Amino acid sequence: MPTSLLLAEDDARLREDLQRHFLNRGFRVNACATGTQALNAVQHGRFDLVLLDIMLPGIDGLSLLDELRRQQAVPVMLMSALGAEQDRISGFTRGADDYLPKPFSLAELDARVDALLRRVAFGRETLPHGEPGPLVFDQYLQDVLHHGKAAGLTASEFRLLATLNAHPGEALSKPFLYQTVLHRAYTRLDRGLDVHVCNLRRKLADIAAQHLQIQAVRGQGYILVDTEHA
Amino acid sequence: MRRHPLLWKLAALQVSFCLLLTWLIWTWGLSVERSTYFLSQADQDYLARYAQQAEQAWQQAGASGAEAFRRKLERAEDTWAVLLGPHLQSLGTTALDAEEASHLTFMRKLDWPMSRRLQDELPYVSIEFPQHPENGRLVMQLPERLLPTGLTPWTHVITHGVAPTLLALLLGLAIYRQLVVPLNRLRDRADALRADDLDSPGLPLQERRDELGELAQAFEHMAGRLRQSLEQQRLLLRTLSHELRTPLARLRIAHDSDLPPAQLRERLEREVNDMQKLLEDTLDLAWMDTEQPQLPTEPVLMLSVWEALCQDICFESGWEQSRLPCSLGTDCRVQVHLDSLAQALENLMRNAIRHSPDDGRVSLDGWRDGDCWHLRLSDQGPGVPQADLERIFQPYQRLPDSGAGFGLGLAIARRAIELQGGRLWASNGHPGLCLHVVLPIGQECLES
Repeated sequence: MPTSLLLAEDDARLREDLQRHFLNRGFRVNACATGTQALNAVQHGRFDLVLLDIMLPGIDGLSLLDELRRQQAVPVMLMSALGAEQDRISGFTRGADDYLPKPFSLAELDARVDALLRRVAFGRETLPHGEPGPLVFDQYLQDVLHHGKAAGLTASEFRLLATLNAHPGEALSKPFLYQTVLHRAYTRLDRGLDVHVCNLRRKLADIAAQHLQIQAVRGQGYILVDTEHA
Repeated sequence: MRRHPLLWKLAALQVSFCLLLTWLIWTWGLSVERSTYFLSQADQDYLARYAQQAEQAWQQAGASGAEAFRRKLERAEDTWAVLLGPHLQSLGTTALDAEEASHLTFMRKLDWPMSRRLQDELPYVSIEFPQHPENGRLVMQLPERLLPTGLTPWTHVITHGVAPTLLALLLGLAIYRQLVVPLNRLRDRADALRADDLDSPGLPLQERRDELGELAQAFEHMAGRLRQSLEQQRLLLRTLSHELRTPLARLRIAHDSDLPPAQLRERLEREVNDMQKLLEDTLDLAWMDTEQPQLPTEPVLMLSVWEALCQDICFESGWEQSRLPCSLGTDCRVQVHLDSLAQALENLMRNAIRHSPDDGRVSLDGWRDGDCWHLRLSDQGPGVPQADLERIFQPYQRLPDSGAGFGLGLAIARRAIELQGGRLWASNGHPGLCLHVVLPIGQECLES
C-alpha cells in the first residue's frame, strides 16, 4: 500500500513540483492550496504524513496543526520561509514532528520524510536488547556498564547510544536521530546532537569502551562501529 | 533615586525673585514714599527767611515789633504764628493761651518730614533765629500751599506696579532661558534630522547636568542610533545588491551558454548555496539586532562543542584534527545557548582558518576569570592592524585581502555572544590574531 501524503502549500509552482516529486517516489499525494481545504481532507481521509506550510491562506498552518492534533496522531512536518532559529525560539516548531526551513533541497526533504516515516515505524517496534557482551545496557538506570563500570550517561546520551546500537553498522541521519533521541525537529544551526555525541565518546573512553566508535558520516549522520566485534 | 536638578534651579530662581520683590517694596518703596514728605530746599529757604525777619523785628522793636511781625505774617500766609523765647514763652505782647501752648508739644524742624497724618492737622514748624538761635525761634503752622504732596498715585504705580512688573519680566526671561531656549535648540536639531542632516554637530546642551542635559543626551543617542541604522541600511542594500547580482549574473551566463548538464548543475548548486548563505546570514544578523531574543541557556561542556565543530570544520577545510588543538579540560563548563555559541565559535574558527598559513594551527585555550570563563582562540595568520581590531566586528566590513565571505561572520558571532551575556573582542597575538570570548560560568559549577 503506497504511503499517503497530504501536502498543503499555497505557492502553486512549489506545490506542483513537490507533488510530482512525491508521485514519482510512489506516494499517494493529496495537494491542497489553502488551510481550509487541508482541514477538509484530513477530516475525510487518513494520511501517513502531513507536509504543512506555516503561512497558508484561510486557516494558517499552526492553527491547522492544533486542529489536527486534536483529531489524530499523524506525523506532521512544517515548512516555513521564516528563519529557522526565529521559529524555534518563538516556539513555532512546537507540536510538529519535524520542521523544514525554506529553501530546502529535494534531497534534504527526502531525508527528512524518510526519517520521520522511519521513526514512526521504529516507535512501533520494541527496542532490541543489546547483545550480551562486555557492554551492558541497563534500561532501569538508563546507563551502560562496561566490565561492571558505569558510564554515568544522561537520559539523552543513553537513548542516543541505544538507538545507534540498535542499528549497528548503519548510518542514521541527523533528522532521524533528532526525532528519536532528542524528540525535536532538526534545524541547520542545532548543535545539540553533535555535542551529545562528543560527550558520549568521552564517557565511553572513560570506561575503556573505545572499541565502540561513533563515527560521523559526512552528509548522512552518525554510525556506531564496533572495532572489536566487526 | 532620581535627582531633580532642574526643579532646584527653578525653585532657587523663584525664591530669589520673591525675596528681591519683598526687599524692593520694603526698602526702596518706603524710602521713595518718605522722600516725598520733605519740604523742598526752596521752601525751606523761604521759611527760614521769615525767621530772619522775625529776629530782626524783635531785635529792633522788642515785644511790640515781634507782635507786629507776627500779625503781619499771620495775615500774609493765612496761618498761625508765634515768636518764642528760649523758655517757650511768647516774645510778643500777648501771652499764649492753653490751646496755643498745646501746639508747641510737637513741633518739627524744617528738614523733618511734614505730613497731615497727625490728627489731620497741618504740622507746626519751629525755625530757630538764624543769628542767635539761643534767643528764640519762630513757630508757625505750615501754610497749606507748602505742605508736601506726599506719595502721588503715579509714584505709587511706579513703586508698587511697574517695578515688580519689570522684575517679573526678568524672572520670566530667566525661566525662558532655562527651559525654552534649550528646547528650541532641541527642536532645531530635530528639524535638522527631519531634513536628513544627520551629521550636524552634537548639542552643547549635553554638558548640562540636569534633566534637559539628560534629554539632550538621550536625543543625541537616538540620533546616533538613527545615523548608524541608516548607514547600516545603505550598506546592507549596497552589499546585498552587489553580492546577489554577482551570482545571479554568473547563473544567467551559465544558463545562456551551452554547458553540459552535469556542469550546469554543479554551477547552479554552487551559486544557489552562496546566495542562500548570504541571505541566511543577513537575516540572522538582522533578527538578532532587531528582536534581541531571549535565548534560553544551559550548562555546556566547552570541549565537546569544540570537538563537534572540529569534526565539521575538518571535513570542510581538509585540515587534520591535530591542527586544531584545545587545551581546555572537562572542568570548563559555560552557561550558554548552545546553538548560538556554536554558530559564533564556528564563524570565529572559519575566519581563523581562512587566514592561517599553509600549515598553521588554530588553538583554543582559556582560564577561569571570576564568575566567567575567558576563552582565547589564536591563529597564526597575519593579524589585523591595531586600528581595525574593532572594525572587523561590523557587518559587511571586509578588510583588504580578507578573501571570500560577506563580512558577516564576526558580526554574527559578536551578536550571538552578546545575546547570552558574553563578550567578544580581538587582539593581536604577534603573530596572529587572538579572539577573546568571555562567557558566564556554567551554573552547575557555581553550585559545586
